[in-house]
Amino acid sequence: MQYLISVIHDSPDLATPSEMAAIDVFNDRLTADGHWVFAAGLGGHDTATLIDNRGEEPVLTDGPFLESKEYLAGFWIIEAPDLDVALELATEGSKSCNRKVEVRPLLAE
Amino acid sequence: MVASLARRFGDLDTAEEAAAEAFATAVTRWPSDGVPPNPGAWLTTTANRKAIDRIRRENKRCGKHLEAHMLADDNPPDSPDEGVIDDERLRLIFTCCHPALSMENRVALTLRMVGGLTVPEISRAFLVQETTMGQRITRAKAKIKAARIPYRMPGAEDLPGRVSGVLAVLYLVFNEGYLATGPDTDPVRQELTTEAIRLTRLIHALMPEDGEVVGLLALMLLTESRRAARVSAGGELVTLDQQDRGAWDAALIAEGHQLVRRRLASGVAPGRYQILAAINAVHTSAPQAHDSDWSQVVALYDQLARIDPSPIVALNRAIALAELDGPEVALAIIDPLENELADYHPFHATRADLLRRLSRSQESREAYDKAIGLAGNTAETAYLARRRQELA
Repeated sequence: MQYLISVIHDSPDLATPSEMAAIDVFNDRLTADGHWVFAAGLGGHDTATLIDNRGEEPVLTDGPFLESKEYLAGFWIIEAPDLDVALELATEGSKSCNRKVEVRPLLAE
Repeated sequence: MVASLARRFGDLDTAEEAAAEAFATAVTRWPSDGVPPNPGAWLTTTANRKAIDRIRRENKRCGKHLEAHMLADDNPPDSPDEGVIDDERLRLIFTCCHPALSMENRVALTLRMVGGLTVPEISRAFLVQETTMGQRITRAKAKIKAARIPYRMPGAEDLPGRVSGVLAVLYLVFNEGYLATGPDTDPVRQELTTEAIRLTRLIHALMPEDGEVVGLLALMLLTESRRAARVSAGGELVTLDQQDRGAWDAALIAEGHQLVRRRLASGVAPGRYQILAAINAVHTSAPQAHDSDWSQVVALYDQLARIDPSPIVALNRAIALAELDGPEVALAIIDPLENELADYHPFHATRADLLRRLSRSQESREAYDKAIGLAGNTAETAYLARRRQELA
């Protein structure tokens, strides 16, 4: 089963060199143990563009969809047999990237 | 399958619930354990076991005397079937108390799935709407399924942390039921303490070597032993020093003391519940209030403060210290806790009592007012109001 681990941050600062090093170690572990699916850091919220095409004409807005103090800074998608394993990995992930993380299951087909 | 169950057990509710539970277990376990060779037979056997279990639980809950519960629950498993049922129950308890579920959802789910209480009963006990309580249970079940919370005993490294999570749920249920009750209390609240004790006994039977489980059980028994003496006929809280000790339940006290002694003999450093149980054991050993061994109580609170340096422990330690060194010393210790305990009504009630003993009546009156304003329980407010009135 796949889980999304979202990295939550409250400033536009990118990871420090030591945080990057710790993240690399964690990513290596995910790959070695067969949990890695995909992961990426995200551009800051100033680099975001919002599109709303639910109506007659699409509306483009500069900036993120939520004006909030905290926002999405990056994510992992992992494969894990159950929530206990996912939580154990996410716990290590939070420590290595030095941020809060949120764990959510991906909806099955 | 429901029909054959209904025929065997003569009760459609039991049959439906048992069948539903069997299917639910299959859904949770077959993906990881694999589909059994004969799924139909597996389902029928599992449903039968769950129905027997449920009926046994119902019979136990109808028992009027705690003694009957004690005897019934102390019986060791006398057949392999029993052992399998016990494994199921342990798995169920740990799953219902999973740390990924909020505390209130854990409590709701545990009482429903393990305790067998109905949603109306649980709602009344916790004074929330039935729809709210129903939602907690629904959400918890949905999360277990959607996030795939595994239905199994935690591994050895995780077990101590997970056990303390379960004990926290049971302690919360017990305290909810034990809050001193007023004249218009629903009697279901008293079922909560019985249920908390029953579930703690179950954990104890399944994990007899765990010291904190023994500690919590002893703590509950020794606290429950004083229930009859705790509220006056007029619906007012009766404090420990004023209680009619003849009304205490000697059998519960004897069992509690035995459990505390057993933990002392083990030589293992006691955890929080074991120390709290020991404190209660000291209190329930005294034939009259003035016989209480307060220096023992203070020594135990010293021990507790080392592993739990919270302001509430400091407050309770100070109350005991007042009996040895006087109210002035105790007041000096608790006054600095004002910031942390401003919303905690026992803090103000304690200050009020100490100030009263020091004849500082005006300050005492103000402290009683704060305590009364914060306290919710009618028996307690009645008591506090009377003490305030008695001030010079």
